[in-house]
Amino acid sequence: MLGHIIRRVLSVAFTFIIVSVIIFLMMHSVPGGPFDANDMPVSEAVRAKMMAQWGLDQPLHVQYFNYMWGVLHLDFGVPFQSPGETVVELISRAWVPSLVLGGLGVLIGAPLGILLGMAAALNRNSWIDYVASTVATLGLTIPVFVTSMLLILIFAVWLNWLPASGWPQPNRWILPIACYAAIPLATYARYTRSAVLDTLNRPFVTVLRAKGLSERRIIFQHVMRNSAIPLVTVFLPMFIGTATGSIFVEAMFRVPGLGAYFVSSIQVRDYTLQMALMLLITFMYCIAYLLSDIAYALLNPRIRVGGAE
Amino acid sequence: MNTLVRLAGVLVAATALSIPAFAQTTVVAPSGSTAGTYMDYMKTVYDRGTGSELLQIPIATFDKEFELTPMAAESWTQSEDGLTWTFKLRSGLVWSDGEPLTAEDFVFALQHAATSGYDFAWYWDFAGGIKGWKEVTEGTADVSTLGLKAVDDLTIEVTTVAPKPYLPSVTSLWYPVPKHKVDELGDDWSLDVSTIVSSGPFEIESWEKSNNSVVLTKSDTYTGPWSPMIDRLELDPTLNAPEVGLPAFLAGDADYSFLNTGQVPVATSRYPDGIRKNAVFATSYISYDLDAAPFNDVNVRRAFYYAVNRDELTSTVLKDIAIPAGSILPPGYPGYNPDIAAEAVFDPEKAKKFLADAGFPNGEGFPDVEIWYRDEGGYNKAIVPAMAQYLQAEFKEVLGITLNIRALPGPEWMDGLRGKKNNIFIAPYEYDYLDPSNFYGIFYNGGRHGYFIPEYDEIVAKADSESDWDTRYKLYAEAEQLMIDQGLIVPLVHPVTIAVVSDQLTGDGVQPNSLGFTQLDRLGHYFFTHITKQ
Repeated sequence: MLGHIIRRVLSVAFTFIIVSVIIFLMMHSVPGGPFDANDMPVSEAVRAKMMAQWGLDQPLHVQYFNYMWGVLHLDFGVPFQSPGETVVELISRAWVPSLVLGGLGVLIGAPLGILLGMAAALNRNSWIDYVASTVATLGLTIPVFVTSMLLILIFAVWLNWLPASGWPQPNRWILPIACYAAIPLATYARYTRSAVLDTLNRPFVTVLRAKGLSERRIIFQHVMRNSAIPLVTVFLPMFIGTATGSIFVEAMFRVPGLGAYFVSSIQVRDYTLQMALMLLITFMYCIAYLLSDIAYALLNPRIRVGGAE
Repeated sequence: MNTLVRLAGVLVAATALSIPAFAQTTVVAPSGSTAGTYMDYMKTVYDRGTGSELLQIPIATFDKEFELTPMAAESWTQSEDGLTWTFKLRSGLVWSDGEPLTAEDFVFALQHAATSGYDFAWYWDFAGGIKGWKEVTEGTADVSTLGLKAVDDLTIEVTTVAPKPYLPSVTSLWYPVPKHKVDELGDDWSLDVSTIVSSGPFEIESWEKSNNSVVLTKSDTYTGPWSPMIDRLELDPTLNAPEVGLPAFLAGDADYSFLNTGQVPVATSRYPDGIRKNAVFATSYISYDLDAAPFNDVNVRRAFYYAVNRDELTSTVLKDIAIPAGSILPPGYPGYNPDIAAEAVFDPEKAKKFLADAGFPNGEGFPDVEIWYRDEGGYNKAIVPAMAQYLQAEFKEVLGITLNIRALPGPEWMDGLRGKKNNIFIAPYEYDYLDPSNFYGIFYNGGRHGYFIPEYDEIVAKADSESDWDTRYKLYAEAEQLMIDQGLIVPLVHPVTIAVVSDQLTGDGVQPNSLGFTQLDRLGHYFFTHITKQ
């Protein structure tokens, strides 16, 4: 296990380097630069001066090594679109609202989805099952900007129960969290339903029933545990996807989160921030899959990480 | 009993504390979206912090009828030879930290802009024509050679390369920079609320950098004209998109909101008295690479000019959000010439004939072309993509040619335009100062399109420095006729923005002007100092 973890950490580092090279090259191959004015050009002399100030006049490989050297020291540079703070400061500031809303969205949506999925599986082909399927399908197919619009329309404009948008008062969190929760809820409802049904059909459940174990113990002790593996697979990636902020949800609910920076850093050629965000996402996914692997092993002793079965 | 007394005491204290809070009027308004790097208009325009212009006092500004109104300046005079302007500042103006605001701060603002990569630097060359500007920004001359001088604390002298009769209106974008702060902190003075100082009607209270929203408060130290009638102003770029702004407005979270086409009927039926229209002084037009085939042929360009049915365009796909444009100048803008605008008619026969004269009868043999437009927010977002599709269908139908469409992010579009990487573009332009030279300047001597038309340049140069206003307008009309005859551009539409305003918002700022338009935040200094809330 330890050896496997070490190997995985090394592979994370390797992935990290590959991704950084690809992102760096892609970023610089897009035409235009951070100091190209939107409407009228600045003079060549001034532009050259600004490029030099940020080291952007140097050959690409030098820029790459300079940046990555900084990364090793946790220095991701200064974002061009927010001078006066570092990339690390910017991310730690803007990530808070995204983490709070997206994180709570997943933490609320996932358990509800599991409950819904279980209810559906245990009452197959009943009205509960149909309602659950409908909810899951709607949650997965309606885009978040439509969900958010509907939530605002119903709860803020018609019923006037909640504010339409904004930050940071907690009553303004409710609608975006509801919006974020829809996807994990729907995903989990579907996954849980099929995982539970799958487990219920396994021979061991029949054996347990034959053994005379109560249905409650069968479900909660055996079926649930065995159904958990696919749920673990989706949890962390979904958490990362949601907790790094959605540009749509954050725009609709006017949340000053991280979401918009993913787009703006590309639009304004904010190289330092763009790299940092991509590396952050890469890093988190690597860690998420590593943790998922470990969780598998804990849930099912037959799975031996590293193929040592 | 004791508890009751204590409770009463708390209640009294709470009431006392809450009275000033209730008495405060706060207006929550949408605001144009920029990156929000520096809170200094003289450091960056395209990436400025929200409201940075409201924090400072310009030399002059426009009221709702577009009359130029002195602000920091009290008066100005032009020298006999027309080359030197003298601006006299009001006495008693101060920075919010108590330091006096002097002529030196204005001169420093431009000297600094000329040397530190100001993204609006071109303005002071092409609009201001300040002596030495080009040389200093290109790094070939020292900043001390600029035609700017603080004669004394209250007198500024500006020397231009040619007579600029409209220079005072150019100064509507001339804001001071606190030299004492730059000396102490460098450009970083405008990065943090605690170090930002202001000279205008508002001070800054807070700045959320993630979405560039700000809270401004009425300045205690401001002694210039137009003091705000409200206490606090929240400017929020996230409310700018009508899809977000209108729901917030309906829920009482915003005091006005811009509307998209779909929202206009709903808002009009619910708030018939709250609808405000603004004809933005802006024009969308087609421009070309004049050196590249097939648009190096004037007949092709003329064919395009006559192939657009502007009335149909603005009554169908762009209903409520644009009006037809026959001229580069919008109606109501100084120098607007209705006779020239009337020449831009939809004439399919003429269009076909021009195309045939160019060697492409019924579009046969005409290469496929791709029109590039800039993918952007604001009013252009609703107008330009829809218009591109309309043009595509129209040119197919009338001229029999295939026009492909490509949307590009701002920097790539600009790069394409400047670097002539494509041969046809949809270009939007919004005025920067109120004078025809603004719009004619974008095609002058290269300008933003890389157009070099000697005859045109000659007329425009003459018009720019002509001090007799009738003669000036005549010269500009001549220049525009030349643009039409040579098919340099195809004027398409002028955008109109529509907003819905809360009935709690009152004051001159929300009342339409004599043309029936309400500028809202497009004339920020006027608007935000002339509104109040019930």
